[in-house]
Amino acid sequence: MKQLRELLFIMFAAGLTLLTSCKKFEDYQTNPNQPTQADPSLELTNIEQTAFATISTDAALASRYLIYTEGSSLSQYYGWTRSEFTPYSNISQVVKMQQEAIRTSQLNYYYLGKFLTDYYIVQLTETFGDVPFSKAEQAMSGDQSPAALMPAYDSQESIYLQVLNDLETVNDSLNAGSAINGDIIYSGDVTKWKKAINAFSLRVLMSLSLKTGDAQLQVQQHFNNIVSNPGKYPLFASNDDNAELKYYNLSGNYYPYYNDNSLKTDFYMDSSFVHLLKGLRDPRLFTFGKPTTASGLPVGDFNAYSGVPGSAPLSDNVNAVSNGLASAINNRYAYDPINEPSIAIGYAEQEFTLAEAVIRGWIGGSAASYYMNGVQAALDFSNYQGNSYTDGQIQAYLAQPSVQLQSGTGLQQILTQKYISMFMNTGWEPFYNQRRTGIPVFETSGGGILNNGQVPRRWMYPTSEYNNNSTNVDAAVTSQYGGNDNINGVMWMLQPQ
Amino acid sequence: MKKAAFAIACFMALYCAGFSQKTAIIGTVRSGIDSTALSGVSILVKGSPGGTTTDKEGLYSIQTAENAVLIFSFSGYSPQEVRVNGSHRVNIYLQTTQLNEVVVTALGIKKEAKSLGYAVQQVSGETMEKVKSPTVASALTGKVAGLDIANTTDFFQAPTVSLRGQAPLFVIDGIPDLEGDVFKINADDIESVSVLKGTSAAALYGSIGKNGAILYTTKRGKKGRSGIDINSSTMVQTGYLRLPKVQTQYGDGYDGVYAYVDGSGSGTEGGGWIWGPKLDRKDPSTPSGYFETTQYNSPVDPVTGKLVPLPFISRGKNNLKNFFQNGVLATNNVSAYWGGDKGTLRVSVADIDQKGTMPNTNLQNASFSVAGNYNLTRKLSLDARVTWNREFTNNYPTVGYGPQNILYNLLLWTGADVDVRDLRNYWVKGKENVQQYNYNNSWYNNPYFVAYQYLNGYRKDNTFGSFSLNYDISPSFSVKARTGINSNNIDQTTQEPVSYIAYSYISPGNYFDTKSSYFDITSDFIVNYKHSFGKNVSLNVKAGGSNQYSNYKSLYSHTDGLTIPGFYNLSNSTNPLYSLNTLNEKQIESLYGAADLELYHFIYLSVTGRNDWVSTLPVRNNSFFYPSASASAVLSDVLRMPDPISFLKVRGSLSQVNSGNISATNPYAAIQTYGIGARWDNVPSLTWSSSSISPNLTPSTTRSWETGLALGLFRNRINFDGTYFRNLEFNNFANLAVSNASGYQTILVNADDYVRKGWEFTLSGSPIQTAHFKWTTGFNFSNNHVWLTRSTYSTDGYEGSLKVGDRRDRIYTSVYQSSATGQVIYGPDGLPVADPYQRSVGYSDPKWIYGWQNSFTYKSFTLNISLDGRLGGLIYSSTNEKMWWGGSSPYTVNHFRDEAYLGENTYVGKGVTVLSGNATYDNHGNVLTDDRKYTPNTTGVNYVSFMTSTGGDEADNHYFYYKGTYIKLRELSLTYNFPRRWLGDKKAFQAGSVSFIGNNLLIFAKVPNVDPDALADNLQTPSLRSYGININLKF
Repeated sequence: MKQLRELLFIMFAAGLTLLTSCKKFEDYQTNPNQPTQADPSLELTNIEQTAFATISTDAALASRYLIYTEGSSLSQYYGWTRSEFTPYSNISQVVKMQQEAIRTSQLNYYYLGKFLTDYYIVQLTETFGDVPFSKAEQAMSGDQSPAALMPAYDSQESIYLQVLNDLETVNDSLNAGSAINGDIIYSGDVTKWKKAINAFSLRVLMSLSLKTGDAQLQVQQHFNNIVSNPGKYPLFASNDDNAELKYYNLSGNYYPYYNDNSLKTDFYMDSSFVHLLKGLRDPRLFTFGKPTTASGLPVGDFNAYSGVPGSAPLSDNVNAVSNGLASAINNRYAYDPINEPSIAIGYAEQEFTLAEAVIRGWIGGSAASYYMNGVQAALDFSNYQGNSYTDGQIQAYLAQPSVQLQSGTGLQQILTQKYISMFMNTGWEPFYNQRRTGIPVFETSGGGILNNGQVPRRWMYPTSEYNNNSTNVDAAVTSQYGGNDNINGVMWMLQPQ
Repeated sequence: MKKAAFAIACFMALYCAGFSQKTAIIGTVRSGIDSTALSGVSILVKGSPGGTTTDKEGLYSIQTAENAVLIFSFSGYSPQEVRVNGSHRVNIYLQTTQLNEVVVTALGIKKEAKSLGYAVQQVSGETMEKVKSPTVASALTGKVAGLDIANTTDFFQAPTVSLRGQAPLFVIDGIPDLEGDVFKINADDIESVSVLKGTSAAALYGSIGKNGAILYTTKRGKKGRSGIDINSSTMVQTGYLRLPKVQTQYGDGYDGVYAYVDGSGSGTEGGGWIWGPKLDRKDPSTPSGYFETTQYNSPVDPVTGKLVPLPFISRGKNNLKNFFQNGVLATNNVSAYWGGDKGTLRVSVADIDQKGTMPNTNLQNASFSVAGNYNLTRKLSLDARVTWNREFTNNYPTVGYGPQNILYNLLLWTGADVDVRDLRNYWVKGKENVQQYNYNNSWYNNPYFVAYQYLNGYRKDNTFGSFSLNYDISPSFSVKARTGINSNNIDQTTQEPVSYIAYSYISPGNYFDTKSSYFDITSDFIVNYKHSFGKNVSLNVKAGGSNQYSNYKSLYSHTDGLTIPGFYNLSNSTNPLYSLNTLNEKQIESLYGAADLELYHFIYLSVTGRNDWVSTLPVRNNSFFYPSASASAVLSDVLRMPDPISFLKVRGSLSQVNSGNISATNPYAAIQTYGIGARWDNVPSLTWSSSSISPNLTPSTTRSWETGLALGLFRNRINFDGTYFRNLEFNNFANLAVSNASGYQTILVNADDYVRKGWEFTLSGSPIQTAHFKWTTGFNFSNNHVWLTRSTYSTDGYEGSLKVGDRRDRIYTSVYQSSATGQVIYGPDGLPVADPYQRSVGYSDPKWIYGWQNSFTYKSFTLNISLDGRLGGLIYSSTNEKMWWGGSSPYTVNHFRDEAYLGENTYVGKGVTVLSGNATYDNHGNVLTDDRKYTPNTTGVNYVSFMTSTGGDEADNHYFYYKGTYIKLRELSLTYNFPRRWLGDKKAFQAGSVSFIGNNLLIFAKVPNVDPDALADNLQTPSLRSYGININLKF
């Protein structure tokens, strides 16, 4: 009897402890910390944060706005090699948002997603040339077949054809009657979205200015269609319409170079850019740069500013900087948490594009008036805190013959003003515009220059593609660049017809 | 054969000193392991009925014939026969070799070492008694073949423990410690540590024991004994084993120029380089007679309002030594134990008090432990232990490369023109609590400001223990129930002062607060049956079930700016608070069984099987079974061996263990989810995971075999053990990289095969052993490497940069282009040309690791010396790289620097330039064609530009990968054991000793400036020597 009692005791004790936490295994198949389903608006907020953040010092170095002194910069000396396929990860977020949009029957998010996908794919094709598009993102639908995991590439021509079709669809399909929430760009204003989409279409069409003869794309006619039908295709009317991301004095919402040490100590103005601004007596110089320490002159004095050549050897530039002879980038870029918004697609850019289209004969109208709209909008945008220069100064600037559009130098002036307007903004657009038109000339004569003094035309495909999608990337390199993936390869859109 | 006989004769002679006709024999019997006196040793006279046993002090006396043979035997030790040969005093050491040692195996089951078919190595707790390390894991360094312990030099950072190259399971008294907190166990409570090296040894632990296990057995009271032990060690950390040597001839600045304006770039001070002007340069034109320039501590001229230049002299030559203080590690333990007929009890209180070498850092580690067992009835017994432990610090240093690390500011990026002692008052006058005072305000923090204002507080309260009941139903049939818990609460805070700098961040003041609680419970129910079939066959069968559940909860919050500077409270946040809470639950249910068969007293067979059900895999794939089998044969028991061989055992095992553990930290890793995205203007967001997860995940598997041999020579005075193992690791949870264009960056699937192979050897013995002097020694060496043998989804035989057949630890990194003969290629600008492909620079795993322990006993003195080290294996050194790059390395003091300051381009990189031709490559950078012609590089460059642009001349410094080879004098203790006349029942204490102790005393290493022990250098704390005193008293 006693034995049995003891045995019972131990069994009971064991039973108790074994039972301490008898959850069913099914209960562990839910992650209590992270959701698996969501309203598409929550994705949109995140997508917009990434998509509209365009500010890049690398683009500024490669576009001869700035120079860098901490070491030899491959962007500045044109010695870069590869870029990455990270925009595809951003597209994945868009695709997920579209899936949630369909699941919850909120189609505005679906169509916005189409636009955002196009926006990213254009970035990708401008960087590399051919990239996967029609076969891309299939793993997002659960397809794990080799064809989905190793997507085939599309030709640049077919990518643009698809993008232009999509953009048309999006403009037609966005519905002003249904909501867009979580929208930190336009607060759900569908008309403003349409304006941004059409302005983007104009940018894409202008980027194909070397391909006006392409029978399928019909660049010129397409451009004309948009401009001539403002009822159907609304366009930006002022800086208020800019597709831009505003910064806030909140942790994680700061201007991207706020408190950036390098920007405080290693970034100086390129002499060609300073020369250009001084020549035009452009007051934006006072908000882009700082007076040199050696000059001892005040902010508003053009003589206070001086740059150093981006192609000169690092040691020469460091020497000039050490002796106080170079203007650093303006303090606002590193010391102001808000500074200025990041423009993805801006009104000024749109007006310069329209002006260029008039000169190219794609559309009618006055190139000068588009152009002046652009210049004025750009000056307004760069007028830091609204008081860096007066209205009088702006008017005086605009009145100068060197600023007024002159016949014969139209294209040069338009693209130059477009270039100035994109200082530390709009991503790589200033570089791509220059790549397409050669305006302004990027100086490469100095002793520090790499790549045999050439400005690169593209980036090599990422190593990850060679590791994970080799057959397709090999085919793309062969068909475009004769099997030689290099930074001087000329992609289809840059090949004159 | 003659030689062996001679050797035996020699050894015999060492035992026996002198001849006599007396027939009364006396002597002492001591343990061959630690020289402690053994009481209760049975002494018989061969061939006659007489016998005796040793007393408490190990003394015996016996009357016998002068040519008699005495047989000494004691449980757990080899019996030993000694011919008296007329001697009247026979002192002997009994050998406890592993051969018939009882070791603790999986689930706490004790087995005879000779019966094991797999590798287990046991370390006595006594080895940790004298020389103290911050953690018990560190105390195992170099002592176990196959166990690699990478000891960090950083304060309050756990060492990295890897067993056969992987992280083992920690077990305390049979209860897995799933968190493996090496700080919570007090070394003085440890009876022994048993290391189950491989998959077979730990097969009974199931999936959590896949990588082997380290079992701690804690002390209990002993039957018939009671007493109080006091063990106290105090060590001072003073003197550097490794202290980075910085140059003190050039100060802060860039390109030889330095002029302070505002500390953030308005002058030439902002960039923060140590490429500034020469220090202590005579200049007769200045008031001081030295070159003068404006500096951070320049007074302001009241008339001009400008800074007054100060002499640029090497005031800060000894900054490191002036800043650091002596560290202290004091450990004190008092324990009381008692043992009666029905049970035992032990109570232990311990305190480890540590003061760091960085000012204002400390760590308290206090433990309180009660353990005991009791026979409730004749058949029912219980055993229980509970330990409470608190790890507590007001502030411990932040480590790793970056401005949060004091060393970053003090060692790498402060020129000798700044004397750190001038920064002791770390607030700008009139801006207390708002702006730190420093010589640079863009990149660096004042070291004292970090030490006294940036505070990491940590408090962890651990409670852990176990409870087991054993019931003997019949002599052959018993059941056991055991349950154990580990629980803790952590309170972790960081105070980040206003003006604290972290690269692109200047703090508006912030407060971070994490509270977490953790609980796990493991319960087993085991039925045991043993039976002997006749004389020669015995069987032991076990069957059991287990349930393991863990629960982790945390709440992390931080402010976004502080409204009132210096007031560290979440309510003081300027902007909305950020908060995140987490719940992680995990469960494993198991059934298992084991059968041990002993045949003819020399063959031992063992099989195990276990089925786990895990919560971390999809339910349809969450159940899996895996078996193991092992065998050992003690050949020396049945075969006639040549004389020197006293023991020979061969062993082998085969096993398979599966695991459903996808992620060490996330039990929900099989579920694809959104992540919480950043808020923008307070609008919340989500982001979808960039890794896809296969819905068909199955368990990962390790299939392993090992074989080994144990050999005892000369009555087991010399023992050798060798093991070879081979693991096939397949169905691994692999985050397979896919084309980003597919939509995902990685896909989690079961994929890829790896083979892990290794050798482990130990050699131990007592080469010299006389009545007064004894030398015992143990040497071990081991290695293991892993090869990629199959890439499941690869189309071209590559997995990333790795090719099938490559060792997995092959290091690929960004390099400069080089010619076919390995010369670096330079471009027209005189700088090396970047290679668009990553290239291999070598392997990270050491070729071999080794340890060597020695103990010398002479009369009352014992000297213990422990050495260990590694051979080969590359370590990347951030400290060295940054010193070259930033200009603080003594190697950057040369004429090129002076010439660069004069604007001359005199430095010519070592290598070639391409004259003509091209190279073409395949997708992985292998050369296809190459018709390049070269000429030596002759382009002179400015030395400073060269160094800043090439990361400190990476190409010529092997990209700052250094050979990790070293040998270290790890531990040394010289102990004086109090003489017997001081001790005894009527005296104050039973035993006692005082020791001089030292830790981390000497190193010879290939890598300069840093200690390779840690296997990594991401700006490590200088490696320090520790010395001190240990006092051990037993009352």
